[in-house]
Amino acid sequence: MNFSHAKLCAGAVACAVTLAVAPVSADVKIGVIYDYTGPFAAGGSKAAGIGNKIAIDMINEKGGVEGHKIVPIYADAQSKTDVAINEAERLLNDAKVDLIMGVYSSAHCVPMAAKVDAAKKFMWANVCVASAVLKDKNLQYVFRPQVHSDQFGEASCTFIAENAKSKLKKEVKDVKVAIIHEDGPYGVGVAMGNEAKCKELGMQIAHKEGYAATATDLTALVTKLRRAQPDIILHTGYNPDITLFLRQSKEAGLRFDALIGHGAGYGQIDKLIETFKDDVNLFYNVDPVAAQLLDAKTLKPGLGDLTAEMVKRYKAESGAQEVPPHTSMGFNQAWVFLTDVLPRAIKKHGGFDPEALRKAALETDIPEGGTIQGYGVKFFPAGSKMAGQNERSSPVVMQYVKGETKIAWPASLKTIDAVLPLPKGHAYAR
Amino acid sequence: MDCHLDIFFLEAVLNGILLAGLLALLALGLNLIFGVIDVVWICYAELVMVGMYGIHHAYKAGVPFPVAALIGIVLIALAGAALHHLVIRPVLDSAPINQLLVTGGVLFLLQAAATMAFGIDFKNLGIRLGSLGFAGMSFSWSRVITFVVALASMLALWLFLSRTYIGTAIRAIAQDRQIMPLMGVDSRRVYLITSAIGGGLAGLAAALMVLQYDIYPQIGLQFGPLIFMICVLGGLGNMLGGFIAAFIIGQFIAIGGSCMATEWGYATAFLFFMVAIFIRPQGLFAAKS
Repeated sequence: MNFSHAKLCAGAVACAVTLAVAPVSADVKIGVIYDYTGPFAAGGSKAAGIGNKIAIDMINEKGGVEGHKIVPIYADAQSKTDVAINEAERLLNDAKVDLIMGVYSSAHCVPMAAKVDAAKKFMWANVCVASAVLKDKNLQYVFRPQVHSDQFGEASCTFIAENAKSKLKKEVKDVKVAIIHEDGPYGVGVAMGNEAKCKELGMQIAHKEGYAATATDLTALVTKLRRAQPDIILHTGYNPDITLFLRQSKEAGLRFDALIGHGAGYGQIDKLIETFKDDVNLFYNVDPVAAQLLDAKTLKPGLGDLTAEMVKRYKAESGAQEVPPHTSMGFNQAWVFLTDVLPRAIKKHGGFDPEALRKAALETDIPEGGTIQGYGVKFFPAGSKMAGQNERSSPVVMQYVKGETKIAWPASLKTIDAVLPLPKGHAYAR
Repeated sequence: MDCHLDIFFLEAVLNGILLAGLLALLALGLNLIFGVIDVVWICYAELVMVGMYGIHHAYKAGVPFPVAALIGIVLIALAGAALHHLVIRPVLDSAPINQLLVTGGVLFLLQAAATMAFGIDFKNLGIRLGSLGFAGMSFSWSRVITFVVALASMLALWLFLSRTYIGTAIRAIAQDRQIMPLMGVDSRRVYLITSAIGGGLAGLAAALMVLQYDIYPQIGLQFGPLIFMICVLGGLGNMLGGFIAAFIIGQFIAIGGSCMATEWGYATAFLFFMVAIFIRPQGLFAAKS
């Protein structure tokens, strides 16, 4: 080896060492899909999208994750399933994103999750709730920290059962519930959870029916409910079906002791009040909690400040005064990914390819109180019935009282003694 | 199938009739335009949507509702005339598929423009007219009024077409588009007036719909397919046929929804439509061509 060869070799080694120790600067490209237009946008999708964006912005302001800047590519699913699927394929195949994040509608989520998983790409579902996204699918690369629809259904029935005797002055077996729902995966999933749990608890199912969210008329459904005379209505829907139902119910004289909504349109209390004013006072909504409603002292230190920052930024960006639960969903799940899963994937598994992200997600172990929405995060492993679903997620039952959102269930989190039945003088009171 | 022939069943039947009033009014304008100009305005329901936004904005600006409704009707009548002048007239002699595509383009344009201009939020006037109750049944006043106005509109349009000079010219053009211009009828003027009347009917439907439905950019998609089904079932261009078809479909939705699940009401309506079109492709009430 002559001198020049030795210099060349030394230089090559030096270069290799330099490359090995230099910070890796590749960006993490995330395809963020929500419905920014169309009916789902006002039903909470845009609010969730803003929450997601705030999380990414805050991480980038801190310098990214392990030296990697987060580069979001936002895509509008336009409240259409075919558009959502096309956007996911465009992001993965053309824009070459490292993962897909977001997704509001379960109708989009079910086929998208299957497609992404079949392509061995990584998906982090923030908002869609249908159990059918993951149930019995054994997906390997799709993870959902969010609550799933079976839990929604169970929460409302359990809440009714716990309050039947003391509030409704009835034995649980004498309580009549009606289950009505939009007929997509989200509505069907929640309704199945409702039916299974209410039956298990011994309640009577006075009526159960699905309808298309785009129906132009729901008077036939309202008439059947008037005939069945349920004590409680369990409703799962989007908009505009929720407002159409409430309007036609009032005009037709439908009366009940309580109405419990399950997310989506019922999560948008400011919009409901704008439309129905006092008529929606004391209605219930089952959802993952809006983080700002929780007592920060019950959470890991620092999460209260994080929630406050999210609320501040959301109000500034949207101009809204009420911060819906969807904002927390979009923010919280994204935050968990960016602060827990992604750093571990990079540090422990060598990067952020689907395999590294999958391994890191399966190692997630956040205890209860470790996220701004209160629940912990640990995923069911491959091979289990709900592989990829967060086994520690849980919803709450909220009640709207004079425009404010209170937590009525579970007892450990509640901030109000539930008002049940609707008091005399209420537009829907018996 | 679970039919109870009780007071609630009767309520469902009557609700079907009230719903049909609105559907009939929507079909009326579309049929008038097709019957005279021979062009299907795929974007008709989107004109209704624009009318709803116009009425909403006028009302929220402090204009009393009747005046706001009138503004909406005039606005959409002008929009109808403008649509004809700017979009339809250049393609009058084109293949029907081109005419469909161009009005389809207007549909997406109006939806996108409404999203940009008015945002994604659902809007409503907040007007509550209450309900009419009797014999244990209850009906929305807004639907009752819609039904009465739809019948009155049908009557008024019939009087206009049969008792006025321009109405006679419209009917003549509808009967023979080639010959009438040779006999001195200004077909361009007749088309423009017909488009304005069709637009005005869309504006009237908008004024009645704002009392029953939320306003959002995609509301046209909720009604569009149903209106076209009714028009085709009644015989495209046949105003009376469309009117009757609306009541048939209304009953399928109401009774089907009452005896089965709500979505089966719509499914049976579409099933009936398919069977009817297999048997009479020209529509139930159209003469065979």
